[in-house]
Amino acid sequence: MRSVLIGFDSFDPNIYETLAAQGKMPNLSTLAGETGYSRLKVSAPPQTEVSWTSIATGADPGTHGIFDFVHRDPSSYLPYVSILPTKVSAVGEQFVPPYTAKTMFSEAADMGFPATALWWPALFPARLEVPISTIPGLGTPDVRGQLGVGTFATTDPQEKKDKTRVSLLTKLGEGKYSGFLEGPMTKTGKEIHPARLEFALDVLDDGQAVLRIGSTELPLKLGSWSSIFEVKFKLGLFFNVTAITQAILTQTRGKIGLYFLPLQIHPLHSTWHYGAPKSFLKETWNQAGPFLTLGWPQDTTALEEGCITDEQFIALCENIFESRKRVFYHQLSKFKEGVLAGIFDSLDRVQHMFLRGREDLAHGWYLKLDQFVGEARDKIETLGGKHRLLVMSDHGFSLYKHKVHLNRWLSENGYLKFKDGGSDISKVDWSQTSAYALGLNSIYLNVKGREGQGSLNPDQIEPMLAELKSKLMQLHSQDGEQAVSNVLMKHEAFSGTYVRLGPDLVVGYAPNFRASAETGLGKAPEPIIEANHDHWGADHCIDADAVPGVLFANRDVANIPEVSFRDIPFLMINKHLDQSHLKPPSEQGRQGQGNIEERLKGLGYL
Amino acid sequence: MLKKFFLKEKKDKPKQKIIVVSGLPRSGTSMMMKMLSEGGVSIVTDSEREADEDNPNGYFEIELSKKLREGVVGWIYDAPGKAVKVISYLLEFLPADLTYDIIFMDREIPEILASQKKMLERRNEVSTISDEEMTQQFQSHLKAVKYWVARQPNMRVLFVKYDQVVSDPAKLAASLVDFLEKPLNTEAMKAVPSQSLYRNRA
Repeated sequence: MRSVLIGFDSFDPNIYETLAAQGKMPNLSTLAGETGYSRLKVSAPPQTEVSWTSIATGADPGTHGIFDFVHRDPSSYLPYVSILPTKVSAVGEQFVPPYTAKTMFSEAADMGFPATALWWPALFPARLEVPISTIPGLGTPDVRGQLGVGTFATTDPQEKKDKTRVSLLTKLGEGKYSGFLEGPMTKTGKEIHPARLEFALDVLDDGQAVLRIGSTELPLKLGSWSSIFEVKFKLGLFFNVTAITQAILTQTRGKIGLYFLPLQIHPLHSTWHYGAPKSFLKETWNQAGPFLTLGWPQDTTALEEGCITDEQFIALCENIFESRKRVFYHQLSKFKEGVLAGIFDSLDRVQHMFLRGREDLAHGWYLKLDQFVGEARDKIETLGGKHRLLVMSDHGFSLYKHKVHLNRWLSENGYLKFKDGGSDISKVDWSQTSAYALGLNSIYLNVKGREGQGSLNPDQIEPMLAELKSKLMQLHSQDGEQAVSNVLMKHEAFSGTYVRLGPDLVVGYAPNFRASAETGLGKAPEPIIEANHDHWGADHCIDADAVPGVLFANRDVANIPEVSFRDIPFLMINKHLDQSHLKPPSEQGRQGQGNIEERLKGLGYL
Repeated sequence: MLKKFFLKEKKDKPKQKIIVVSGLPRSGTSMMMKMLSEGGVSIVTDSEREADEDNPNGYFEIELSKKLREGVVGWIYDAPGKAVKVISYLLEFLPADLTYDIIFMDREIPEILASQKKMLERRNEVSTISDEEMTQQFQSHLKAVKYWVARQPNMRVLFVKYDQVVSDPAKLAASLVDFLEKPLNTEAMKAVPSQSLYRNRA
């Protein structure tokens, strides 16, 4: 077995087919041939972490247990990030794998083949008990154990950012400044505070500076990203934490601006099980060069908050793509057998930020990825022998013109009652609440015996689901555009052991609509539907049928009817991990079978 | 008894694949068998069902294939490297420890029904099921079979449209060579689906 999977996060079939028809996708079109391309049915909801996990397991969230980016604790209603769960043990709070279902990687390893998964979401922390070589993707935290925000160092005392940390630069002399970075938390006496690391910045002229941090001295050029460098935080007498980051000098005239990417785990000096095995990480880092490790390394927050410009963000995306290509090609050069998969997600970030407004720029990335496929195929061919190649995406993309504040809708329709003038999940009158929204596609009923302060009896559940579904399908924007194109009840969307933990309704927004970020965290700003003027102008967390993915293969995929995420393990390792959808035809309902048999007997075929 | 007898006949798992031609009756399976035969593929047939007006070139069948559901499978262990006709209704009963290249014939259901009707008449059989009902039931049967067959680890499938066979037999012959990964006499194959065989159109 020798199977290679190249994953392009958010590669959209509509855009591909348009560009291919214009002759702009020569490498993918060649791979597609007449039968090597299909649109891919993706799992609901079409969120990155849900979708790639469904692809890896060949199963829907009811089987792997990742239903949404945000889950909730039903007893307290508190939201948490589904792909970064922790467990308190004797050695303190530890990250634990977000799911335990079998993947095509673990199955390949069980079959005795080497398996390598690069930047696959929800694979942090490494599962040491399974011999898979991993560099984890989405869901990998920063060095503080969080999803990661950067630091903007400035001489402007008035500077304020919503999420980004601001560090005031102190002027030491002409062109000389000092500042500090805040790292992991540490304890001094009884006080818990972030460890600090001082740095010095010498601005040489309008276009150049030198950054000195720890033992590192880095030349900086205005508007260009530095190389990846290490920073070391002292957390105790014998305990240091080494992180990696990149910096960019953004302003030198009037005031100084210096931005640092979130402090990221150093793969060779991680206090957590970042990837596995260590020898694999070391060899990759040393041979293929350094790479950013944060689960979401393309810093969209820095762009949204004005810390960096569009062009600087794009340059960062390109750097990340290039470093991943280096690592992928390095692994490819050593690939003899088994499974090798790599996810490339810069396209997703570029589309979020530019599909609305700079469509050509986003489309340019499709051409870039097409060229990459050509290069990768050439390298695979040089390995000789037979191989399987899949190039695929986890979902497509759509414009995001309207934010839906779903909790506001629930509130105004009498399903959610706030108290004390509140407008978020922490101020709810649960005794008068029958439903609440958390996450980007999830609605939960407030069920007695399940939720901490449940109000609905079991006999009220089905009618309430039907009522909500019906009303949501009638939700329209002010100009009459339908906001929701599909609502799935739990049993329609999911199957498997964990169904009971999933949301009661999966809301499939129509293209152009999406739940607001506030909804994701249980907030309820007004009005119900608000125009989206954010830089983040396109998205995919909508109706799964509206954003199918793509599947290209060097084998016949057009002869697989209704090809979906469930089929990927089969295509990669020739084995289904979840057989629930594979009942033989004679067991799929007997209606009409008697008539067919009668006909076949009449014709002499039975 | 019969089942036990044939099950006993099982032999070691052969390495060569079995070529299976499948589909609904009257979807062009016999024509495909004839093409394969002309192409140089050995056919598994007992010639029990003789050529007639419905299949002037013969049926290319083996009666035992109709007993797959009853577990009569021993005969197929002699079929690797050869082609055998198995209707879509019985595909799921093929032994799971063998591997198959399946050529699945697809034809417009109204054409199939029209052809089946004529065949039923010639066999003096009377159908009480309406065309609408039969269409719906065949459609859902085909959907389920195609979904299932395309996902079996021991099966590869090529769906072949009947009218494309007739309109471009040369292209089909070439795609069969690709799919079966073996040299075939494509010149002889492309002569088979003559327009004269394209009968019983609705």
